[in-house]
Amino acid sequence: MKGIVFTEFLELVEDKFGLEMVDNIISSSNLESNGIYTAVGTYSFSEMLQLLEHLSKNTGISIDNLLLVYAEHFFSVIENSYPGLLATYKDPIEMISSIENHIHVEVRKIYPDAELPTFEVIEKTDNNLIMVYKSSRAMHHFGLGLMNKTFEHFNSTATIELEKIKEDGTEVRFVINKN
Amino acid sequence: MVTKLKILLIEDDMIEIMKLNRTISKLELNHEIIEANNGEEALQILEKKDSLPDIILLDLNMPKINGIEFLNILKNNDVLKYIPTVILTTSNNQKDLLECYKIGVAGYVIKPLKYEDYVSKIDKLLAYWSINELIKV
Amino acid sequence: MSQDQVEILQRALKREKAARKAAEKILEEKSRELYFTSQKLEQLLDEKSSQLQGVFENIIDAYVVMDLQGNIIKFNEAATKLFGFDIERESVNVINLIYKEDYEYAITSFMQLQSNGYFKDYEARVYTKSKEVKWVHINASVIFDKDKNPVAAQGIVRDITEFKNLEIQKEKLLSKLEKSNDELQEYAHIVSHDLKSPLRSIHALVSWLKEDNINSLDKASLKNIELIELTLEKMEQLITDVLNYSSVGSDTSLREEIDLNGLVSQLVSILYVPENIEIKSLNILPNITGDKTKLQQLFQNLISNAIKFIDKEKGTIIIDVEDVNSHYKFSIKDNGIGIEKQFHEKIFKIFHSLKKSKDSTGIGLSIVKKIVNLHEGEIWLDSEPNVGTTFYFTLKK
Repeated sequence: MKGIVFTEFLELVEDKFGLEMVDNIISSSNLESNGIYTAVGTYSFSEMLQLLEHLSKNTGISIDNLLLVYAEHFFSVIENSYPGLLATYKDPIEMISSIENHIHVEVRKIYPDAELPTFEVIEKTDNNLIMVYKSSRAMHHFGLGLMNKTFEHFNSTATIELEKIKEDGTEVRFVINKN
Repeated sequence: MVTKLKILLIEDDMIEIMKLNRTISKLELNHEIIEANNGEEALQILEKKDSLPDIILLDLNMPKINGIEFLNILKNNDVLKYIPTVILTTSNNQKDLLECYKIGVAGYVIKPLKYEDYVSKIDKLLAYWSINELIKV
Repeated sequence: MSQDQVEILQRALKREKAARKAAEKILEEKSRELYFTSQKLEQLLDEKSSQLQGVFENIIDAYVVMDLQGNIIKFNEAATKLFGFDIERESVNVINLIYKEDYEYAITSFMQLQSNGYFKDYEARVYTKSKEVKWVHINASVIFDKDKNPVAAQGIVRDITEFKNLEIQKEKLLSKLEKSNDELQEYAHIVSHDLKSPLRSIHALVSWLKEDNINSLDKASLKNIELIELTLEKMEQLITDVLNYSSVGSDTSLREEIDLNGLVSQLVSILYVPENIEIKSLNILPNITGDKTKLQQLFQNLISNAIKFIDKEKGTIIIDVEDVNSHYKFSIKDNGIGIEKQFHEKIFKIFHSLKKSKDSTGIGLSIVKKIVNLHEGEIWLDSEPNVGTTFYFTLKK
């Protein structure tokens, strides 16, 4: 997993819960990197999983909700770093439906070894979109957070429902209705 | 009733002219033959509108104006175009045959080798035209 | 600040430092990687450029690159040789190379290049530097930059002057040939007319001699006059046959679908067939594409030949056909006098009649052969003296 996901995550934790919490979750996890992250490095996903679990335990907030909040924060990282990418779209449905065919293609150009989920478009109209998320990471709420922010970015809102196709959350249907 | 025909023979070959004359007298026919040795001579004869021939016998191969050229002149003339013109020729050239019928001829007779055959053909030809109603100017 | 807090801060600081070092190391590795990559790319570029340069220089056809205004940017050696310009020293615009009569065609093609991005098989004339006119064949395409904007156009130009000249020459020759064929045909008609006229006159004059002196001529003289008439007839037939023979070759042939079965049965009904001779077809004859008059002539000559040479009390002529791929093979079999082996080739040659007779001039079979050849076929025969002859010939379907 790309280092920027870790550094941004820890920065958010520090911001919301203080440096103590950062120290706490790093110390209580068994990390190969010893909690030393740089945005340009690459680290094991299991480290993120441990950090999330410990944060959830310490704060009483579910991992899904933590991911949701983190994703909303992460969207601003994308906004700042890749304004050009967002500028190519005029509509949130358009942008979300092209995750697979455009956005991830561009991501791979920058990070050839990135492990990305798949988002398959099942149905698409001007205002509705049904997609199926697939990833062994089960980070569907990270996707949900990014989607929420995407609508916000285009000054619009949407009702997004998640239906788990697989119980473990590795396959989830997103039903998006623009308001 | 058998008509006495005034025949204009346009022919440059002296013996062919003799053949027709001899045939007429041999068959004891009462027709009048006017001879023209070429197209120009024939046109001069045809200028006298008061004594036009009843039919024309035309050879195709002639010096100066050839038969087809002569035929064209004839058929473009408002008076002369009514005179039945029968081609009398050696040529069985398909092209000539088509061209003649296209311009308008009253017959196309191949000159046979044998004199007896010639006499028989002329006999039939003149007999046919003798019983036809012709336009008299 | 409590001891705990200090320790937390210290740990955080340590992590930050370590992270910075790690980042620096990664960056260094990345820049080294980048350096090697760029070196590799340069190498690849050099290699590709050298390949392209090789193609550019070695290609036999002229290779031309022009900008969007038509100014020539690049000529390979062949192009320099073809057009005669040294573009290092002089500027050339393609507009000036176009032959004036082909201008419209050139503009149309240029517009096609703009709208489609290419044109193919353009064939027209161009001027060289020395104002020589050359025929060229051009395939051209637009060169785009990385944002897909057109920046130039390139073309492969082939000099086809020689080929075109040959083509034009061929057309000229063909039309000349056609004309002289027509003339020959016309000539044959005139000659035959001029030859026949005196024969007719002689015939008339001889008839008159006989008619006018019928009482004073002795038997021998009458016989001689008869011989003169026969000779005249033969002479006339000869002229007719020669004319027919020369007409067969002229390619004014009509090509249409011919029902041979109908053609032959009609022929048999109008031919004079003696009562002792029976003509029968074993199979229904097919339809073929050909010239009706000539095919009629072909069957007529062969059938009347067969009739002519039957010497048996009961004569039979059998017509048959067989399908042999692209052709039909016909046979006409008689039980006549037969032909000796040594004459099988000769009889198809002009003026080679075996039996000198009043009604044989020796041209019939050479006409037959000519007609068969015109229909892309062959003719041959099987024969046994005194038993009979079978003529075989093929005609293209």
